[in-house]
Amino acid sequence: MNLEDLIPTDEICARYKVKRTFVSSLYESGLIEIITVEETEYVHCDEISEFERLWRLHYDLDINLEGLEAIQHLLRQVKKLQKQNLELKNRLGLYE
Amino acid sequence: MDFIDYYKLLELDKSASQADIKKAYRKLARKYHPDLNPNNKEAQLRFQQINEANEVLSDPEKRKKYDQYGKDWQHADAYEEAKKQQQASGGRAYSGGGFGGGQGSYSYSGNFDDDTFSDFFEEMFGSGARAHGSGRGRHFKGQDFNAELQLNLSDVYTSHKQTLTVNGKNIRLTIPAGVENGQTIKIKGHGGPGVQGDPKGDLYITFNIVNNTKFKREKENLFSNVSLDLYTALLGGELTVDTFAGKVKLKVKPETQTGTKVKLKGKGFPKYKKENQFGDLIITYDVKMPTNLSAREKELFQELQKLRS
Repeated sequence: MNLEDLIPTDEICARYKVKRTFVSSLYESGLIEIITVEETEYVHCDEISEFERLWRLHYDLDINLEGLEAIQHLLRQVKKLQKQNLELKNRLGLYE
Repeated sequence: MDFIDYYKLLELDKSASQADIKKAYRKLARKYHPDLNPNNKEAQLRFQQINEANEVLSDPEKRKKYDQYGKDWQHADAYEEAKKQQQASGGRAYSGGGFGGGQGSYSYSGNFDDDTFSDFFEEMFGSGARAHGSGRGRHFKGQDFNAELQLNLSDVYTSHKQTLTVNGKNIRLTIPAGVENGQTIKIKGHGGPGVQGDPKGDLYITFNIVNNTKFKREKENLFSNVSLDLYTALLGGELTVDTFAGKVKLKVKPETQTGTKVKLKGKGFPKYKKENQFGDLIITYDVKMPTNLSAREKELFQELQKLRS
């Protein structure tokens, strides 16, 4: 894994002005992945969008960790259903 | 430009307290927040509206101006100017001022567009009136852009380069063959600029593919109906059919029934991001009966009928 693609969690905490416990609790709940390289913890840059979404939901809408877990689960289902719906709509074209 | 009733948007009456506004805003924000409504443009628009309403009503200065002028907002500046003159000549003091700050505003660089304020808002409070961000910190990369691109089905049969204009910038990109209707692709680094050397955001393009052909498509397979005359269907023969890549000759088996399906392997649509791999073309025969029979033809068919009965 390219180290350039990893963002240290300390930097994330400073940039988003969040406590380290917030990042840790997201990791412990399985909401984000934390990668440890030589005792330094990082988040992959591809996961930043997901982190930002959780950060907004937590701080803007006052949603607690349990709520975030439920939302993430439901959003995955929504996206899966949206994908399925699109596939079915495209398939429906065969019978029109 | 129409007057926007911010109270109605937040489902409040004019006597609402700051606590009521906060509560109503939070309730609606939870319902329409774009993070909770993926790919829902209606929710996104509604969220922008309630965000704007909150921006005005949660700020006592802005709310005062809004309440004072209401539907006559277009004349607000003229009224204020008149008041200032009145004040200078010993009239009643006016406490109006700038509109900085604000509470609870959203500033995003997520996978949805930034919050856009209405022309009504900009006109009444000025373009610098909105509060930028909640001051919690900045993001790691620039804003992600979303764009929709309409293409014909025939356009995506082959990979091709196309120039798109996104936010005034021309981007030349390769559209891979076989892209599907509704599919979104990410173009890394073509979103908004990053701050202080941070990486640029990404560009997400969703394809809207219009079928301009006689073929029907399901993923990489194509389907078409081919008319077959009665005599070829009965006795067999040769037939030339259209495929996406040109015409091909087909042998028709004797006694082919209407609705018979024939699969032409590899004559379908290209498989997305799989070079030189194609789906199949499935042809359904539609046997056409002859019409306007002559007396002689009728006679012969009657003869055939007798042979069968």
